[in-house]
Amino acid sequence: MTDPVSAALGLGGYQPLVPALLLGVTALLVLLVDTIWPNEQSNTLLATVTIAGSLASLLVAGAQLFLSPEAATLFDGQLIVDGMSLFFTVIFTSVTALVALASHDYIAERPNQGEYYALVVLAATGMTLLASANSLVTAFVSLELASLPSYALVAYLKDNRGSAEGSLKYLLIGGLSSAVFLYGISLVYAVTGTLKLTEIATVLDAGIDGSLTGVLGIGIVMILGGVAFKTASVPFHFWAPEAYEGAPAPIAGFLSSASKAAGFVLAFRVFLTAFPTSAVAGVDWVLAFEVLALITMTLGTFAAATQEEVKRMLAYSSIAHAGYALIALGALTGAADRLLVGAGMLHLLVYGFMNTGAFLFIALAEQWGIGRRFEDFNGLAKEAPVACTAMSLFLVSLAGLPFGGGFVSKYFLLLGTVLSSSYLLAAALIVNSALSVYIYARVIKAMWIEDPVPGRTIEEYPTGLYAAVVVAAVVTVLLLPGLALFTDPAQLASNALF
Amino acid sequence: MAGPLEFAPAIAALPFVSFVIALFFGRYMPKKGALAGITATGGSLLLAVWTYFAVMGNGEPHTEHLHTLVSVAEPFSLELGILIDQLSALMLLIVTLISFLVFVFSLGYMNDEGETGLPRYYAGLSLFSFSMLSFVMASNLFMAFMFFELVGLCSYLLIGFWFREDAPPSAAKKAFIVTRFGDYFFLIGVVGILATFGTSAFIGTGGTESFPALAEHALTGSADHVHTFGFDPQTWFTILALLVLGGVMGKSAQFPLHTWLPDAMEGPTPVSALIHAATMVAAGVYLVARMYGFYALSPTALAIIAFVGGFTALFAATMGVVKREIKQVLAYSTISQYGYMMLALGAGGYVAGVFHLTTHAVFKALLFLGAGAVIVAMHHDEDMWKMGGLKNELPVTYYTFLAGSLALAGIIPFSGFWSKDEVLYEALRLGLNDPVFMAAYAMGLIAVFFTGFYTFRMVFLTFHGEPRTNIAESPHQYGWNMKAPLVVLGALAVVVGLINMAPLAKLTGMDLTYLHHWFEHGGELLTVEHYHHLLTEVSGVHHVESSTGLMLGSGALSLGLALAGVAVAHVLYNVPSPEEHTDKLGSIKTVLFNNYYQDEYQVWLAEGLTANVARAANTFDQGVIDGAVNGVSSVSLFAGERVRKVQTGVVTNYAALLTAGLVVLLVAMGLLGGWF
Amino acid sequence: MSNPWIAIGALGVVAVAIPLSMMAISSLLRPRVPEQGKTTTYESGEVPTGTPRIRFNIQYYMVALLFVIFDLETVLIFPWTVIYRDAVSTAGLTTVLVPMLVFIGVLVVGLAWAWRNGAVRWVRTPRRELTTKRES
Repeated sequence: MTDPVSAALGLGGYQPLVPALLLGVTALLVLLVDTIWPNEQSNTLLATVTIAGSLASLLVAGAQLFLSPEAATLFDGQLIVDGMSLFFTVIFTSVTALVALASHDYIAERPNQGEYYALVVLAATGMTLLASANSLVTAFVSLELASLPSYALVAYLKDNRGSAEGSLKYLLIGGLSSAVFLYGISLVYAVTGTLKLTEIATVLDAGIDGSLTGVLGIGIVMILGGVAFKTASVPFHFWAPEAYEGAPAPIAGFLSSASKAAGFVLAFRVFLTAFPTSAVAGVDWVLAFEVLALITMTLGTFAAATQEEVKRMLAYSSIAHAGYALIALGALTGAADRLLVGAGMLHLLVYGFMNTGAFLFIALAEQWGIGRRFEDFNGLAKEAPVACTAMSLFLVSLAGLPFGGGFVSKYFLLLGTVLSSSYLLAAALIVNSALSVYIYARVIKAMWIEDPVPGRTIEEYPTGLYAAVVVAAVVTVLLLPGLALFTDPAQLASNALF
Repeated sequence: MAGPLEFAPAIAALPFVSFVIALFFGRYMPKKGALAGITATGGSLLLAVWTYFAVMGNGEPHTEHLHTLVSVAEPFSLELGILIDQLSALMLLIVTLISFLVFVFSLGYMNDEGETGLPRYYAGLSLFSFSMLSFVMASNLFMAFMFFELVGLCSYLLIGFWFREDAPPSAAKKAFIVTRFGDYFFLIGVVGILATFGTSAFIGTGGTESFPALAEHALTGSADHVHTFGFDPQTWFTILALLVLGGVMGKSAQFPLHTWLPDAMEGPTPVSALIHAATMVAAGVYLVARMYGFYALSPTALAIIAFVGGFTALFAATMGVVKREIKQVLAYSTISQYGYMMLALGAGGYVAGVFHLTTHAVFKALLFLGAGAVIVAMHHDEDMWKMGGLKNELPVTYYTFLAGSLALAGIIPFSGFWSKDEVLYEALRLGLNDPVFMAAYAMGLIAVFFTGFYTFRMVFLTFHGEPRTNIAESPHQYGWNMKAPLVVLGALAVVVGLINMAPLAKLTGMDLTYLHHWFEHGGELLTVEHYHHLLTEVSGVHHVESSTGLMLGSGALSLGLALAGVAVAHVLYNVPSPEEHTDKLGSIKTVLFNNYYQDEYQVWLAEGLTANVARAANTFDQGVIDGAVNGVSSVSLFAGERVRKVQTGVVTNYAALLTAGLVVLLVAMGLLGGWF
Repeated sequence: MSNPWIAIGALGVVAVAIPLSMMAISSLLRPRVPEQGKTTTYESGEVPTGTPRIRFNIQYYMVALLFVIFDLETVLIFPWTVIYRDAVSTAGLTTVLVPMLVFIGVLVVGLAWAWRNGAVRWVRTPRRELTTKRES
């Protein structure tokens, strides 16, 4: 299929790549706008271009997802556009649009707006390409395209020490993890002689020399390390709390939702396509993911329980949720694989909205300058009932109570663990979810039950931020019936991957 | 063909619509939502009648798949569907009839008495009917469980209708918690059945088999797709059956989970009628009948059901003897009567159990509505010792109530006689082979005497003798909307027993066991013959051969006992000014009056045992969990402090920890995978 | 049994041992004459001034980064030009030319943006530049 535009550009047959191309063009447009009016505060125009571009990409990806679920490979198999990549593109572009909408108010008074939007869209482009990467080298390049803008975005508040510090740590740990990832790729290449995921699987299926199992194993575990960095899983999570805390709150939402989802799409793609468990007998990566999932969700939850600042609590809760999503890979025993992978994808979709929404609420609080600690949120509901209602919805959905889509996706994950007899993971999921109810309830209690902080007045109600928070809340709630009634995770996953 | 079965979902949907209407628009409507409810349940009733005749003409069960909640084919999917067969068609008829009459009665009981909050009342009542009808139509155990829970929720809402007083909210909570305790076991049972069979369907459709059929195959040889988790299939099925029975015992108020039911009398009387006759309590017994093909496979479960049923029948009947309030007497009679149904089902008398469920629904609804009428007449005083002589003032109520009482006591030819006689006869036939069933039968038989006694004690104290208070001399009169349901039910209470006159059939040789024939049709795995086959061939439960002498002897014995009970009541209480003879019982009365201290020991269990366990858990939580949490918190706080102090040092620490973590992972994986 | 890891391990041990032993032996053998000049930083014979932790102007990096980017572009263009004629004759003009134009176009957009935003303008203090940008 060729449409006239791609034909005219000599891009015949690249139609499946339109969502990614749209994002790339949007980034260039943002730069162009900033080139033409560099000294003016063209915030609104920049935000409009960004939102329009990401929504256009979202629409195209959504339409492709519904219309043609067949996979298309491009560039001699270097890229693949299938159900899974489109599904994740939908997540990335929705989060990008929400973040851009909220940023319009957040960065209105700050310099370098053109760079800000351009970097956000470039990171989204990288993530979208990562979702389509079908070879280890394209995966690495898109991973870097997604990561490098993120480092700069965390440091956007240049005069803020926390922002610069978080960014530097993110950069250093990111560099180390990229090195580990790349080294892993080289070892896998050494064993299999190819970088394409499908061909790796073919080579491994045919059987490799027994003495090479160790090299392959080290390679696989190192690739796992790269994935763990991107998903902020223990022990590659050290950057996350500080980067999330220091970053501008919309960026924290972007990183903890979209960037994390990008890490997971990489994990699903690489491990399920290139290293099927049947082919790599000596390398039990499922066990490694199980251990990571257990440690990550437990450490994230327990650390979140003891935080005193809301934003940092959300940062650790984001680590815990990475642990939940890791269940999708850590419980693969063959009994309910499709259900598990589909449940993981659904969880990331829901999480994209509820977690971004929660961070956007923090952005709102930062705009109001009401402080970061739990006490500072006391009685906020009396002054900002709409925003606090939305925040409460995000939190109960994060906790997995049946007021938002988070309940359904967690339920599917739990069902998957039970069906695949991974009772340890099931127990950890239940215990940590129970504990997380307490954690999130602290914020709700502060907002609704405690007496308001005396002397606090909220002067402005920024429209864009409010709109973004409300949209995220509405989608979070709608996903509850949406997922419960109309989605079948196994079907989703098999359309996407198997 | 757009036959009546196509409209089957509407039977449940109509009350749901009226629920929504009453909830949102009830306050603007002339009768506060009552008319919507009456229209809806009336429509449901018509549809149910139509469905009934369609099933009669068709014979085959009707199944319909509505929606798939979770369609994971492996290992199981969760679905919503409809199953209309002989059993559910009959039950739909009962439920819609009673609901309709209760709605009409409520016009008099609630509207005319000027109660407030009526939209809430009618919304609750509609939702109750909707839940129960959906439960009855459920095509699988999972869906049944969902609506079983919804029924429980509705009972909670309605028992606690007068939530501003002290007693109703606490009674509502008690009903909810006690039945929920049983439902825990039910839930485990549902999960267990799904995990075992991969389906919870009551009937096989399109290539898949129902779980009772799979269980039967497992026992008779080909145990293919059945996971019994290492147990012997027979043992495991018994465990599952007993787990589900937990929910049944909670809802159907069987010993020891019956304690919520007498307290539930705090709700409005029409609600009590609905709970006792058609919805909540009936749900438990109906569930056993619905999956009878499964219970029939486990002789142990059957024996337990029969024994618990017989024991409950006697136990509750003795407690009913001493109660002062009219509704309390009826509450204990309900427990007792459901004991009979369980006894019948446990003793292999499927038809007998369902027969008694049917007749009981009619006469118990009648008695409750009659009691409601008496209570309205007495200006909401329920104490029977303040009544007396009401039969002259309230003739309609008296004669209908008398018909219901005769049915309850089991006096020929009223409906209760036929069904109770068949229950006892089935138990006796099995009891002659097995001492456990004999004991259950004996308890049921003795309970007949007590039933006759307390029923007519109630009748005589309420309606006969001299009025004992001023109110009883000139009671409040009420309108047609309360009398009409009484008359309808009164007529039915007399005749409904005629649908299955087994003794008469035996005696005259005529074909009078219509209900029995009714259940001989339907899906081949849902007929009474199939159940009989399962009982005899798979479970090895054998009845003694039926003979005319045995049947008549049994009938005469139970009738004699019932008449004896009535006679004793007549002697003691049918006098102008009766005394409190129960005082003569001395300390036994105290024990009976306190319901054998059931509440006390359960409260003791809750407080003495559960509270201590909770306290221990709290200590564990405070000490170990919070300790761990605080420990992690101090560690992370300590690390956080260090982060702020030594900025450059920490990233290297991170890098070091990260690398160490990776190395540990590598080494562990290598050792496990044998790379070195 | 000759496990290859033994040889690798031995190589590692030797690799660590050689420098360690060299330093240890020389520290045992050498004479100790402490003198201030020996502790100063070696700067190719020059006498060092100031501390080593001085701030460089950020614009050195800006120029260097731009240089690296376009250096890489050259590396990509060079082989492309070499095969250009042959490629056009086999694959057609659009297939060969358009992707490279797109690639260069992207870089041009970036360069224009960087130029316009003052990345290559040499100013004394970035702070003053920022204030002028705001005021205008």
